[in-house]
Amino acid sequence: MNFLINYIVLAEIFVIAGMSTNILVGIVGIFTVSQAAIFGVGAYTVGGLTVAGTMGFIPALAVGAAICIILNVVVTLPALRVSGDYFVVTSFGIQLFASAVFINWTDVTGGAIGLFGIPSPEAFGLAVDTPSGMMILTTLAMAIAILCFWLVMRSPYGKLLKALREDELAVASAGKSVLIAKVSAAGLAGAFAGVAGGFYAAFISFIDPSSFELEVSVLLLTMVVVGGARTLAGSIIGPFLLLSIPQVLSLVDIPSSLAAPLRGLLYGALLIAFMLLRPQGIAGQRI
Amino acid sequence: MLALQLLINGILTGSGVGLVAVSFGMIYSCTRVFHVAHAGTYTISAYFVWSLLLLGLPDVVAIVAGILLCGAFGIFIQVALYEPLAKRNASQLVVLIASLGLLAVIQNLIAMIFTPNILRMPSTMLGGVLNAGSIAVTTPQLLLFILAVLTVAALIFVSRNTVFGKRIRAVSNNPGLGVITMLRPRLVYIYVMGIASAVVGITGIFNGYDLGLQPYNGTLILLTATVATIAGGIGSIAGGFLVAVGLSVLQNLSLLVIDGRWSVAITFVLFIVFMLFRPQGLMRAR
Repeated sequence: MNFLINYIVLAEIFVIAGMSTNILVGIVGIFTVSQAAIFGVGAYTVGGLTVAGTMGFIPALAVGAAICIILNVVVTLPALRVSGDYFVVTSFGIQLFASAVFINWTDVTGGAIGLFGIPSPEAFGLAVDTPSGMMILTTLAMAIAILCFWLVMRSPYGKLLKALREDELAVASAGKSVLIAKVSAAGLAGAFAGVAGGFYAAFISFIDPSSFELEVSVLLLTMVVVGGARTLAGSIIGPFLLLSIPQVLSLVDIPSSLAAPLRGLLYGALLIAFMLLRPQGIAGQRI
Repeated sequence: MLALQLLINGILTGSGVGLVAVSFGMIYSCTRVFHVAHAGTYTISAYFVWSLLLLGLPDVVAIVAGILLCGAFGIFIQVALYEPLAKRNASQLVVLIASLGLLAVIQNLIAMIFTPNILRMPSTMLGGVLNAGSIAVTTPQLLLFILAVLTVAALIFVSRNTVFGKRIRAVSNNPGLGVITMLRPRLVYIYVMGIASAVVGITGIFNGYDLGLQPYNGTLILLTATVATIAGGIGSIAGGFLVAVGLSVLQNLSLLVIDGRWSVAITFVLFIVFMLFRPQGLMRAR
């Protein structure tokens, strides 16, 4: 039963993180591999602030989200000024740079050993330290995130983002600033990823740099692609489906040294297969 | 003197990065595909040679065969992945994602077959270290530098002075017109992918001799290479190569002042600077 609860909590956290990817890749159409880096920044921020008792969970989450928003805005601004293509290089750079920071900035992140003993979240004075309690909290968070996503997409701002992917030039000639729209979308995506990271840190209670490497960005991308880009349903289906793969794999007898590369291989193969055969994913729209 | 050693290191390794940059730029400027999986070709080249050496082939034969295998691998990717995607009118985003998926497949397949641990080439032929005064240089580094300069010179010559080079440039410039004038862009793409993949294999193989083989090391060098390609100006072979050497020299010289673990930051910051002040690159060829 705990096993099922853990799966659900993790899936819900990744739904929130996946929405971050969906905003950038699916809706605005910017390819990015730096989701895991921002996710990691959120996780380390919340982890670092709560482990020493400096802050409660919710305030730490807010700080994490703010940092991630600023980070995303700062790095997308120069690259998006020029062309979406160059942002690919920037996002690779962010991801690799962030991985280097996580491993080397030992004072803050604990280095390769990571951060231990991150306390369970405390919401409005109630400590949440049972798995089912955690599940209630993450379901609540996911519901809020879904509501935000849905509202944003239905708002004029959301329509502007969708228009960006269709025809940037038309948006510009309509008098809307393309750059501000893209950069603010990146900021929004940063908020989602940062919050998801914070929950991840509180749930797992121990984080290390390996959880935020390039392959996790690929995983997030796979979730969005398989579930379906540009839609809410896709953001929810993707993580639940993809996170069941490791569980299925654990039923098959594979030596543990092969397990991680096998997972990475499967995610990559899924990406290729879906791009070739069904780019809109299960419940999404064509990207 | 340390600075001089770092400078030499920078130039030598930079020439290897330059090959990666030039080959990546070839693919991008001609086929418009941001071939992220190029990092996979870089990585797999060393493993090709490693396997051939284990089968008992002499080094020279293994290296040449490895380079040719990379070319074939590139052609395979073009025919099996990028062409079908083009036929489906896939958007650039879809192709990018597919390329990333391919990179993940290549890297993890290598990790599964050859283990994620660092391997050494089973050969001592290129094991020497050459000393000139206080400067030390490894044999693979020197060989790579010589081959890199020759390759880039050859590529520039072919591009400017041969009909083949003109054909590639024509198709890069206007693929639609290339179809109409019977230049057969699809065939040109195959040529370009083949040549570029073979070229990046040179760097992969000699870096494998020099530093050892590891499944996931292609991504970092590709980052430096793509920064060099963009900063050097898309379509300029010389530009990409020179910027790559320059970046590598800067990365190495920066070791005098900052810790080596942060060298990736140098590349990244330089890219941001370029994007802010000269986004069209140093030498635009188009």
